[in-house]
Amino acid sequence: MASDQTYLSVKSMSKRFGGLQALNDCTFSIDSGKIICLVGPNGAGKTTIFNAITGFLKLDQGSVFFRGNGLTGIGPQKIVRAGIARTFQNLRLFGDLTALENVASAVPNQFGEEPLGALFRPIHTARSQRKTRETARGILEEVGLADQAEAFVRNLSYGEQKLLCIARVLATGAELLLLDEPTSGLSGDALEKVMVLLRRLRDEGRSQLVVEHNTRVVQQIADEVLFLHQGHLMAQGTPEAIMADPKLAEIYFGGAL
Amino acid sequence: MDYLFSYLILASIFVILGLSTNLLVGVVGIFSVSQAAIFGVGAYTVGYALSNDIMGFVPALALAAVVCLVLNVLITLPSLRVSGDYFVVTSFGIQLLATAAFTNWDAITGGASGMAGIPTADLFGLPIDTSLKTLILTACVACLACFAFRLVMRSPFGRLLMALREDELAVAAAGRQVLRAKVEAAALAGVFAGVAGGLYAVYLSFIDPSTFDLDASVLLLTMVVLGGARTLAGSIVGPFVVVALPQLLSLIDLPTAIAASARQGIYGVLLVAFMLFRPQGLMGRKI
Ligand SMILES: Nc1ncnc2c1ncn2[C@@H]1O[C@H](COP(=O)(O)OP(=O)(O)OP(=O)(O)O)[C@@H](O)[C@H]1O
Ligand SMILES: [Mg+2]
Repeated sequence: MASDQTYLSVKSMSKRFGGLQALNDCTFSIDSGKIICLVGPNGAGKTTIFNAITGFLKLDQGSVFFRGNGLTGIGPQKIVRAGIARTFQNLRLFGDLTALENVASAVPNQFGEEPLGALFRPIHTARSQRKTRETARGILEEVGLADQAEAFVRNLSYGEQKLLCIARVLATGAELLLLDEPTSGLSGDALEKVMVLLRRLRDEGRSQLVVEHNTRVVQQIADEVLFLHQGHLMAQGTPEAIMADPKLAEIYFGGAL
Repeated sequence: MDYLFSYLILASIFVILGLSTNLLVGVVGIFSVSQAAIFGVGAYTVGYALSNDIMGFVPALALAAVVCLVLNVLITLPSLRVSGDYFVVTSFGIQLLATAAFTNWDAITGGASGMAGIPTADLFGLPIDTSLKTLILTACVACLACFAFRLVMRSPFGRLLMALREDELAVAAAGRQVLRAKVEAAALAGVFAGVAGGLYAVYLSFIDPSTFDLDASVLLLTMVVLGGARTLAGSIVGPFVVVALPQLLSLIDLPTAIAASARQGIYGVLLVAFMLFRPQGLMGRKI
């Protein structure tokens, strides 16, 4: 990648909800090939930043550039196609579909995803469907859920559901993943599994912006940390530098938490 | 024998309608209570075209399908802006509006007294003038509709629609266009309802606004609830059971004065009972 072009750059991002300034003039940029952790107390605006980057939220002010291209004002679909995809803090899996179908639903370029193709070229549709399922199965394998492919989401454990969220976002083919608290509610083996997976994905070239509360996880996975507080971007640096800053530690541990 | 034919013909017409309603309400979760209005537009379009000798049955049926496609997309569009429960109110308004139009646009619809003497259908010169021929026609179209429904439900498009009902935001995050998918589903449901309407018009040769009113829309919902949402079997069983009910009731010796309200009452009881005790219907899944 050309080094004179920033990978993702966010400029003076602001968003107000009624009387609440959720994001206040946030500016930052990140490089590709890294795991960047976005940390900050509850209500800091982390999810709001995700919503803004992925086109789910209209900004009051500011702009987003990905590989030099402006993303401001274009919808979520186009942003996924541009190469940025996100997960949700509250999972938002399709409960009535199987794990495999959840993943398949995010695989791009499927034939027969509109009625004319589905009705008038059923054989072609079926062939494309088989290919999609193979792709989806491969992704489930990658995250360690191959044996649950035919299980319905509601029958999966919470840890498996978290993995499925990652599988679904991988299926979009996006190169930059925005993961909203992929480890929350996990402990022990399940937590370890997600950490290993995220690191492996990074090594395979998937850049990640990860909202993470657990400082131990941050230390283990982050190449860089963004610290957000009350809508302000307070600091950007290595995990060590951020953790060592007494002012940030006071905000993070001394406050309402 | 005529009795049986009439039952089977009506049931197969309602299967097509049931599929339409199931697609919109059961699969996508757009809770429309105005599907009878679309059914009516299909019926009046074919009725008008044939009565005035404007075109043959097949082109008229195609015209009804196109008109209903466009109309259903238009009336479903509010569901993109107002969500879930609020859409029911919008849709309720549309149904009332449609009934008002059927009743008052005398020049086209014949007003409250209806449209009588609609000519029988013909297939490229072959007249469909007996009950048996009509049954064969409606059954074939119903089978075609069932086949189409099955193809759709097994395709990526079907999966997209199922996902849409569960979580629109997650569908958008997967890189899909929510608006486009909803419009396509509404279009398909409109085609089904329009075709059903056209068949109904030529079969009965008489139509009036009362067939396409709010009660009829509720009846369609009853079929979906009773048969079960999102399955082909449910969309077939529901109409067959519900269309049989009035016949079964007529076996019980009720005075005609209370027969109609008794029927409405029984539909009501069925709706409540199924929602409470068997929300997945006879053959399907929970609405
Ligand atoms: N759509 C919205 N309407 C109104 N207020 C909102 C909206 N979305 C977020 N907020 C508010 O903006 C602030 C930032 O919310 P956000 O969800 O971004 O926080 P967060 O950093 O993700 O917190 P958490 O760690 O709890 O997930 C919160 O006070 C929240 O209540
Ligand atoms: Mg959040």
